[in-house]
Amino acid sequence: MEVSLSGVTQRFGAVTALDDVGFRAGRGAIHALVGENGAGKTTLMRVLFGALQPNAGTIELDGKPVHFRNSADAINAGIGMVSQHYSVIPELTCLQNLMLGAEPGWLLSESKAKSRATELAGRMGYSFNWGDSAEGLSPAGKQKLEILKLLWRDAKVMILDEPTAMLSPADSEALYSSLASLAAGGATVIVVTHRLPEVMDHCQTVHVLRGGRNVANSLVAETGSRELAEMIVGHDIDERAVEQSTVGDVLAGVNGVTLKGYRGDDAVEDATFVLRAGEIVGLAGVDGNGQRELFQALLGRQRLSRGSIMFSGEDWTETGPRERIERGLRLIPEDRHLEGVIDEWSLEENAALGLQRLPPFARGLWVDSAGRRDAASRIADRFKTKHGGLRQKMSSLSGGNQQRYVAARALEVAPKLLLAFQPTRGLDIDGTAQVYGAIRQACQQGACALVVSFDLDELLEHCDRVLTIFHGRVQEPPAGLERDRQAIGRMMVGTG
Amino acid sequence: MGDIKGLGARHIVLVLCSFALVWLALAATKVPPLEALGQLVQGSMGSPAAWKQTFREMTPLLIAGLAVFLALKAGLFNIGADGQLVIGAAAAAATAIKVPGLGGVLLACLAAIVAGGLWALPAGWIRAYRGGHEVISTIMLNNIAGFLTVWLVTGPMRDPTQQSGTTAVLSSDSWIPAAVAQPPFSLSWTLPVGIVGVVAMALWLKRTVVGFELCAVGANRTASETAGVKVKGVTVWALMASGGLAGLAGAFFVLAYEHRFYANFSPGYGFDALGVALLSGGSPWGLLPASFLFAVLSSGSSAIQLTGVPKGLNGILLGLLIIVFASVRYRRSRLGDD
Repeated sequence: MEVSLSGVTQRFGAVTALDDVGFRAGRGAIHALVGENGAGKTTLMRVLFGALQPNAGTIELDGKPVHFRNSADAINAGIGMVSQHYSVIPELTCLQNLMLGAEPGWLLSESKAKSRATELAGRMGYSFNWGDSAEGLSPAGKQKLEILKLLWRDAKVMILDEPTAMLSPADSEALYSSLASLAAGGATVIVVTHRLPEVMDHCQTVHVLRGGRNVANSLVAETGSRELAEMIVGHDIDERAVEQSTVGDVLAGVNGVTLKGYRGDDAVEDATFVLRAGEIVGLAGVDGNGQRELFQALLGRQRLSRGSIMFSGEDWTETGPRERIERGLRLIPEDRHLEGVIDEWSLEENAALGLQRLPPFARGLWVDSAGRRDAASRIADRFKTKHGGLRQKMSSLSGGNQQRYVAARALEVAPKLLLAFQPTRGLDIDGTAQVYGAIRQACQQGACALVVSFDLDELLEHCDRVLTIFHGRVQEPPAGLERDRQAIGRMMVGTG
Repeated sequence: MGDIKGLGARHIVLVLCSFALVWLALAATKVPPLEALGQLVQGSMGSPAAWKQTFREMTPLLIAGLAVFLALKAGLFNIGADGQLVIGAAAAAATAIKVPGLGGVLLACLAAIVAGGLWALPAGWIRAYRGGHEVISTIMLNNIAGFLTVWLVTGPMRDPTQQSGTTAVLSSDSWIPAAVAQPPFSLSWTLPVGIVGVVAMALWLKRTVVGFELCAVGANRTASETAGVKVKGVTVWALMASGGLAGLAGAFFVLAYEHRFYANFSPGYGFDALGVALLSGGSPWGLLPASFLFAVLSSGSSAIQLTGVPKGLNGILLGLLIIVFASVRYRRSRLGDD
């Protein structure tokens, strides 16, 4: 199905998120929609998906104008969307998740549903145990289930918002080959992304938005990634060399740490490594290999089964998060909504979360309101968080802006050990550079940082040293191969 | 609770809506609504004696409401306020009987706070360390508190000169005196103390690190733990403090009004306190009008019977109020998810 949007304008109060934007996507191809955070990519796709009713503009499918009152209309017209946060419900089985909201009738025939599900999965080369609960699915498995949900609903137009944000490089490749086969079958695939290599490697057309306006629309074959990056940002990008800090003494030591996972097995086994003052260390690995548990242990939320954690000459093994924060631990958490912010609180109150006992947020046992206000405005300014006032709720910010705020908060009060889990998740090129620049600056002042990312290129670009984690085992690349992408990539999947 | 901030025009409209529904109910049963409402107002605010009764009802509702409110801020539903209140009342009566005088009054209040707090402790501990839900455990503790105090006043604490299960009347020097006494009106010091409690609570939540952490636990437990808040400790302490406040409400009712403790002491103040805390709309200031409204309905309910309307009408009105508030809250939170 051919999709065409024209003259789309979408306002939220005083903010114009989309200003006279047009977009076309033909059948049988993968189309990329790129742009910075807040450029309006997701908004545009939500318009196409019927989730937003624009102030102006038209949608045409195969040349016929359509009007969607809600997403149900769009789904009936053959449009499907997978949002950035998967909508898989862990308590339900895979089959129940697949059918949810699009049950074939009032009476459910499990066996009929299962045979159709198996048929769809087979078409994509996937296999699922349909009766299993969805809880055990890996991010890649959830993504596959989301794609099957689109097929289940007979979607002809498939919109995927940041589909590889949670996937390993190998899973991302597999995803794009699935998408390519869907496109070959006549589907219209639209991918919202800000990973340019994916655009260059897998997409046929690319559409650039900047500040809610059309900037460019071209065939991928006729453009280059550097040119694209400039169009996205709106100015030249410096090719930066990795600056190295002067590396000092060992600050943090993880010695023989073994951790129990959620299912009772060892999630991390005998991890031993050090972090030195001044260095950014990356932890590369495919999601679900023990990064999460290791982070929780470093934070003090998970008890060690064996081993010890030392910091700056002190034994941290038995201390909790509060004591570690007092000694300089700072966190950019993995799951912002769950761990990092309180959505319904103001930016000002959220500024203090995690630092609430430290100056300038507290004076003794009292909240220092003036200090907190000043700190909140510094935090918002550091990475240019776009907000409507520090007394607005955190939930009023877009995801990227929340990430900027949370990252800036971690750097606000004298960090000594910075733990960052996907610190640039949802950030654009400029934002990523700023966040790593600030982490670098903190390290130059004597801190050390451990960064987890599923994006090896990002780690290689910004870290002094990269460790790998596979099946709970932390390894350091052998001498001579410290920055070897191939070698590290092999270690990430256990074939090093 | 965080969805409704403060007490706006919206709340007043909601209260009026509930009254309108009751109006319709009265009209349907052929009772002139104006007359019934007039009786309600007359019976609760129409005379000095009526005001005295209304303020008397308001005191335990306000303080127990404060107790439930505090637990709610920490994300805990203290359904056990009624049990903590009667345990506190019993402890206060026992103490004041043994130790007369002003010192005895203070000691009795302290005993009530400790007793109420300890009564909530198992619920807090089970929630924090064993994951058992406080709604269940506090309801169970209510029943135990009820039977325990009945046993106490028919056994060890019973005044042998009395027919029914009750303690002796406290000597008048261990009564909390009236702040204003112009018969037939009088106002006990306990109500001003409760109002000061509201102010203190508002400041404590906003201005102290511990208050900040307590609200954080109520808003997002995982984020709080990540932020270095000792969530388990906060859970235990918040329920204990809530129990202590409910116990204090019981002590005040003994020391200022009843001057003795007897079987089935509370007519359900601890449960009405849940409604007070809900109607407060997430702000401690809201406890004042909410507890006043409950008190008006309670003290005016006898008067309303004169028009032939059953006493249960106030219960219906309160129920309606809570349903209307809860449904609005639900609607708003659904919008918030979008």
